[in-house]
Amino acid sequence: MDGVTFSYPGAARPAIADVSLRIEPGEVVALLGPSGSGKSTLLRALAGLVPHFHGGRFEGRVEVAGRDTRRFRPADLADEVAFLFQDPEDQVVFGRVENEVAFGLENLGTQPAHIWPRVHASLADTGIARLAERRTETLSAGELQRVCLASVVALEPSLLLLDEPTSQLDPGGAEAILDLACERGSAVVISEQRPTLPLERCDRVLFVEDGRLTINESREEALGRLPAGFGPRSPEPAPERRGGGEVLVRLDGISHTYDAAPVLTGASLELRRGEILALTGPNGAGKTTLAKIASGLVDPGAGEVERRGRVCYLSQDPGRYLVSERVEEEVALAVGGDRERARRALALVGLAGFERRHPRDLSSGERERLALACVLVAEPDVLVLDEPTRGVDPPRKAELAELLRRDAVRRATLVVTHDLVFAGDVADRTVELGALEAARA
Amino acid sequence: MSPVPAAALLASLAAVALIADRGWVVALIAAVLFVVCLSAPRSRRWLYISGTLISALSVFVLSPLVSHTGTHVIWEGPHIPVVGYLDVTSEELAAAGIQALRLAAVGLAFAVYALLLDLDRLLQAAGFARRSVLAVGLATRLVPTLERDAAGFVEALRGRGVRVEGLRGHARLLSPVVAGSLERALNLAEAMETRGFGRAGRTRAPSPPWTRIDRVALVAAVLLVVGALWL
Repeated sequence: MDGVTFSYPGAARPAIADVSLRIEPGEVVALLGPSGSGKSTLLRALAGLVPHFHGGRFEGRVEVAGRDTRRFRPADLADEVAFLFQDPEDQVVFGRVENEVAFGLENLGTQPAHIWPRVHASLADTGIARLAERRTETLSAGELQRVCLASVVALEPSLLLLDEPTSQLDPGGAEAILDLACERGSAVVISEQRPTLPLERCDRVLFVEDGRLTINESREEALGRLPAGFGPRSPEPAPERRGGGEVLVRLDGISHTYDAAPVLTGASLELRRGEILALTGPNGAGKTTLAKIASGLVDPGAGEVERRGRVCYLSQDPGRYLVSERVEEEVALAVGGDRERARRALALVGLAGFERRHPRDLSSGERERLALACVLVAEPDVLVLDEPTRGVDPPRKAELAELLRRDAVRRATLVVTHDLVFAGDVADRTVELGALEAARA
Repeated sequence: MSPVPAAALLASLAAVALIADRGWVVALIAAVLFVVCLSAPRSRRWLYISGTLISALSVFVLSPLVSHTGTHVIWEGPHIPVVGYLDVTSEELAAAGIQALRLAAVGLAFAVYALLLDLDRLLQAAGFARRSVLAVGLATRLVPTLERDAAGFVEALRGRGVRVEGLRGHARLLSPVVAGSLERALNLAEAMETRGFGRAGRTRAPSPPWTRIDRVALVAAVLLVVGALWL
């Protein structure tokens, strides 16, 4: 990549500016930086999606395995470059797992006799051979992400681009995905907002800020220069500040099934005013279901639920908070259209000045904050946050932890998260929900 | 059963339902397809079944009111400008019943196609117009995706204490659901491009050979249509 500057159509300033870098065969590179700094655009430039797919103004030159991306379309680079996107739901084409993995091989013109053996080898390598016949819509987020990885790994690319591939995975699943990606012998570029895992595996670190490459050094050299929050951190256990005030939510012996498959068996939990509780556990353990039961959004199959005061639930998908035409209207929905309160909530999450914007015009990081404002505005007695740090950069996570701690005394807070570092920073105590095991808290 | 003979059988059942003029034949086809539909997961089938049955019921109720055939009047209604008298005759009721059953049979055939067929393999079997067939396959999968998106919006609103009630409440979700599906379509197109979609020299993964049941189903599909035309 040589002197690349790119602006999206209609953008006032470039998304990446004067970026030059070289990635060697087999090298593992960690790509770090704040939300909106240009990491995804840089990956798209390496895949040829910028400028071919997005349009815009492109200067400089990108060459992948000797092919200039200005002359070769992304589809023509697909045998050399593979891209794993953040949201697996948005990249699945077929309804059956093995067909999904075969799709890329067919597009590349692989000999028919070699397609199924390569599909099954890729599924086995990514640890999901048992899913070959399953329908994609029945898979969990973690399983679907592995299917997407199998789909790109099957292409045997020389450059593998991973755009926040572990944002929906538990720590064990995230580690497994990154190990699988890094052990293939391809050059790998990993963009992540949980920097610890890529930093443990990488040879080199790239740091992007305001579209400019500010760090491009070996791992050892880069570790001393990374801005606060972007260095590796081990999760610290919550300090067990147990206590708090009155019990606002009590769940006792909760069991629940989806389509006859049990997800919760005898789970019990208490949420007290003044306390922040982090609920952790592997994908599929039933954390979100328990959070929804605590919020009154799902009725349990069995067990007792007691609830006092107003409960608000923040969905893990910020795309669900885009119903209205203006940001302030969206936030005001929860308070009967009270725009004054909406403006105060927006200021609280750092979105003052965004009141009249359309919610869909916001960046992904801004959408996260909008979603938070949508629930904070109601000043609930019980606040349930489902994966509030998904796609959020380390400085924003620190701000969120501070915000939640500052107002913790007013309410009971339940944080469902895979981010054990964040859980350690924000929670008074942590409950780990094991798959099909009772949580006794 | 392989998806191609299964799709042919469904298409022939739908065709017979449209061609046949005996009510019991159409009713039998609709009943068989309804029973087959019930083998799909409950969470997925309700939308298709309720949509089909409501549409069929609407045809049965509204059609006699706007048509003017038959002489055996069962009910005499008022005169409506442009439409005329809202009389209902036994002949109109019988015709409406057949039309409703036809609509139900065709709707349920589509439901079985969408819910139970391996659309991927159907796509693989298409040796021509692959892009168009892929578009149809993606469009079929769009229905449950839109349904899931709408449910997600409702849940997020309920999570803020906002009730979504009535036609107006649900109509408000139409725009965000459509906008969301457009965003999703762009993301999917981007992902497909990076996996080589549109390159020249595409190949196809070999399909499993047809079984005896597949051949019997295909012959049955042809015989059903020929029989319906003959009779």
